[in-house]
Amino acid sequence: MERLIPEIVNGIVLGAFYAIIAIGLSLIMNLTGTVNLAHGSFLTLAGYLAFTLLQRGTNFWLALGISAILTVVIGLIVERTLIQPLYKRIPLYSLLLTFGLALIAEEVFRLIWGPQSVPFSTPASLQGATIIGDTVLPTYRLAIMAVLALVMVLLLLFMYRTRQGLRLRGAVLNREMMAALGINTQVLYMMNFGLGIFLAAVAGVLASGLIGLSPTMGNGLLMPAFITVVIGGMGSLAGCLVGGLLLGVGQSVTTLYAPAASEIVTYVLMAVVLLIRPRGLFGEEGLFG
Amino acid sequence: MEGTKSRREFVKTAAIAGGVVLGAPVFIPKRTEAEETLTFGVDEELTGVYAYPAKNEVRGMQMAVDDWNKKGGVLGRQIKLQVEDNANNPGTAVEKARKLFEVDKVPVLIGTLNSANSQAVSNVAYQAGRPFLVSGGHTDTVTGSQCHWTSFRTCHSTWAETHATGLSISKKFGKKWYYITPDYAFGHSLLDGYKDMEAKLGVQVVGSDLTPLGTTDFSAYLTKVLAAKPDCLIIMVQGDDQINCLKQANSFGILKRIPVAGPQGELEPLWGVPKEAQVGYWGVEWYYKNVGNSKEAQSFVSRYMAQIQEPPTARSAFGYITADRMATAIQEAKGTDPVKVCKALSGMTFHPLQQGSGTYRTVDHQLTWPMLFCETIAGGQADNPKDIFKMVDVQPGEAIEHPVSEQEKICKLAWPS
Amino acid sequence: MKRTLDTAGLSLLAIVLLGMPVWMNIARLNVSLGTSLLLFGLAAASVNILVGYTGFMAFGNAAFFGVGAYGSALFSHYIMPDNMIVSTIVGAVTGTLSAFILAPFLIRRRGIYFALMTVAFGQVYYFIAYRWSNVTGGEDGFSISRPHLFGPNGLAMEGATYYYYVLVIFVAVMVFLWFLVRSPFGLSLRAISQNEVRVRYLAINSDKLIFKALVISGMVAGIAGSLYSMSINFAYPLLMDWHQSGDFVMMTILGGAGTLWGPFIGAIIYTLAANVLSSKTETWQIMIGALFVICVLFFPKGILGFLSRASTTSEREDVDTTLDHVHTDALAQGEPG
Repeated sequence: MERLIPEIVNGIVLGAFYAIIAIGLSLIMNLTGTVNLAHGSFLTLAGYLAFTLLQRGTNFWLALGISAILTVVIGLIVERTLIQPLYKRIPLYSLLLTFGLALIAEEVFRLIWGPQSVPFSTPASLQGATIIGDTVLPTYRLAIMAVLALVMVLLLLFMYRTRQGLRLRGAVLNREMMAALGINTQVLYMMNFGLGIFLAAVAGVLASGLIGLSPTMGNGLLMPAFITVVIGGMGSLAGCLVGGLLLGVGQSVTTLYAPAASEIVTYVLMAVVLLIRPRGLFGEEGLFG
Repeated sequence: MEGTKSRREFVKTAAIAGGVVLGAPVFIPKRTEAEETLTFGVDEELTGVYAYPAKNEVRGMQMAVDDWNKKGGVLGRQIKLQVEDNANNPGTAVEKARKLFEVDKVPVLIGTLNSANSQAVSNVAYQAGRPFLVSGGHTDTVTGSQCHWTSFRTCHSTWAETHATGLSISKKFGKKWYYITPDYAFGHSLLDGYKDMEAKLGVQVVGSDLTPLGTTDFSAYLTKVLAAKPDCLIIMVQGDDQINCLKQANSFGILKRIPVAGPQGELEPLWGVPKEAQVGYWGVEWYYKNVGNSKEAQSFVSRYMAQIQEPPTARSAFGYITADRMATAIQEAKGTDPVKVCKALSGMTFHPLQQGSGTYRTVDHQLTWPMLFCETIAGGQADNPKDIFKMVDVQPGEAIEHPVSEQEKICKLAWPS
Repeated sequence: MKRTLDTAGLSLLAIVLLGMPVWMNIARLNVSLGTSLLLFGLAAASVNILVGYTGFMAFGNAAFFGVGAYGSALFSHYIMPDNMIVSTIVGAVTGTLSAFILAPFLIRRRGIYFALMTVAFGQVYYFIAYRWSNVTGGEDGFSISRPHLFGPNGLAMEGATYYYYVLVIFVAVMVFLWFLVRSPFGLSLRAISQNEVRVRYLAINSDKLIFKALVISGMVAGIAGSLYSMSINFAYPLLMDWHQSGDFVMMTILGGAGTLWGPFIGAIIYTLAANVLSSKTETWQIMIGALFVICVLFFPKGILGFLSRASTTSEREDVDTTLDHVHTDALAQGEPG
């Protein structure tokens, strides 16, 4: 099955994407119960910011960094003004609010950058492909894998080797205890949200090189990311990684043998996991009822 | 206790419901009742994924209306466009069409580019008994199995698109084809169209994939393409899907190794593809550089470019032709009587913004007009980076549409007696 | 005094509902939009059963709505072309069934899991409608002509006539919901929304109650959908999409979740706002999004909830009393404790 290997490689890249977006979603959900339906909008925003910078001749990696930071700043403003009041309420409200934000964001993008897709070019250095036998590995996809892997390693280091990361993990387990210990939970919430948005921003810029950058770009990636969170496990970042890879590889392989089913397979998988093991593969029991 | 609460609810509900419904007129803009104005209803996908081509269609319509008004209007009346956004949703498209007919009392309706919207609105116009000219919706049923005497279509049918390009593709690239098709009615009819030609052309289909609408990642399909080694990769996906497919095909090195072609290539998505992926040989329904010696078309192109600061697209042309022909039909019918207007449109022959000619043929009200086969020039021309098509071949309308004898069996226009 | 107020309120509501074709005309809107107000009101009411009364985040009701829509559409096209009453019933039944099939799975989870499951399963229905294009027409949608009332020689259901037909059904369903909310079943649902653990401690099988709530919710949504496809003479997959579910939830919250008439108010405001704004400006989507944001931040109880001075203690008392009744009933019927 020499066709299987390239499919699996494709699936891993795709899965890494799903995973990084899912981890961002999961971080935001775990700590404050906020279901961020506007996550896709942050993806798109970062893409557009990078595009604008690239048009001015900025180096690709610099553009990636700057747009990520700008997107995080905007994300933090949104978090402090609009989302923070909803922390005490049931998740339904954050769901609806971010739903509304996504609608607003789409129209704002259309007003600023136009309704058309904008031509986002990947840097020339990344445009080739490595050919091993019959397998073609586009350089850009390998670069994506490298960047995402790096980001995930940095994230792991942050979560498990720094004090802030420790506090974040502790707050997920027990918010009240953290507050009782005198730790400023509001700052924690901000940091957490910013972290989630940062991941979305990186994914958004990278995605713009693969798919068309338009006002609706982020929406197509949002659903698979949610599914990844569910499959991998709410409350578990490793679970998101595994879930994402499973989903990505699953989709790619299904496309090889039964393309028509590739879409619905994801939803069926999600339903099955929710039924049999609702906390997900690695999730914490009882985290969300 | 319970009863009082629910009664209070009742009162509040009634008050609010009454207030909202009765107060709504305050927020509705008053329409001028001037009898000198003739209003064309426009039902378009101004928000959503088709916002850009829809905008270009409306731009074309507005230019046509402006041109008529400069000449004194239609039968002495100035034309106004009443544009409604259907948000790319068939339910909304139907409600807007009904509002235009029932409330704004438009005598004629134009627009729609989404297939589902086109059919749904076509049905509404039929029930209202008024003319509807589809500008950009390609689904076959509108002039096929679900045709109505009130409905007409400007853009080509999917049958025409495949038949305009099939021969050229097999001549230029070879007979081993790989299809990447969007998995919905539009894509299926394209497949049927090519299938009709396969035997005649001696085409061997080495692979065929139906991709879900909105596919972001084509890598799985593209690796299959590489393994199948076709003479030509036929990409039938449109819009954002086309952009994604081309960008990713480029990253896999396909664009340098395997020729890419397809039944429909539009400026709107291709302008959104980065230079390195701007390739392919496409069926093009209208191109601003290939209007021949038509003075009207040349004038349209230069005025459009001066006004909008970018070249008119095929969508702009659809819009212009649609509004222009509707006005012409009303002029010929000497009024807005639906049957007379439709009879005037039916069989109308003219120059659709080019030297060649086209006819809204009587059998199915489909505009039968030429179609181009163009090469994509990455990065456009030196003087205009948006000038990305170069004509390779052109087919006249009659040669590429469903033959009349076959279409008669599919579309039965039941004119009122 | 209260009597006069009630009569006034009832009369006003009656005037609004009975005179809708006239009001639509005055507002320079088409009559079928008035019909849509009723139908979206019912769809939002179906959501309200779960979100407002049971406290469950249901984000998949558009799927039941859509199945009802396709049910009546496909039936009236393929099987019995010209009978509106039968088509309505078929649509209602298919909508109910669509919820009945999912209910055994949905009742097993709560909270966000429940919400995500409703989305996931809703999308499965959406994909079936999308992919089974030989039957449903797929993305191109499915055209139908509106059936006559009782067969080919029956009453033609044009514009206003169809509105009144829908109005009759609307009133019937609202009356049904009025009784439902007041019944021990309805009060048990509200008890669940307040504290499900406590309900279970009282030997009440909350799973069964939620199951029933889901099925009833599906039925109401199915009725609404069944009438909707016949209103616009078209059925299409987007009717089932989770964005449509989100709109229904928004209508419920906007009007006031947990109130009988809140969903209808929310449906009126949301539908009219979207329709009118989209005629005025191309940036109407920003305004609708802003409506969501403002409502969630400042009017989470919705319009009726905001205006209502309902005291929560009295509500809890009612629930307590009823739970006692239900518990006693349950014991009397020999249900396991």
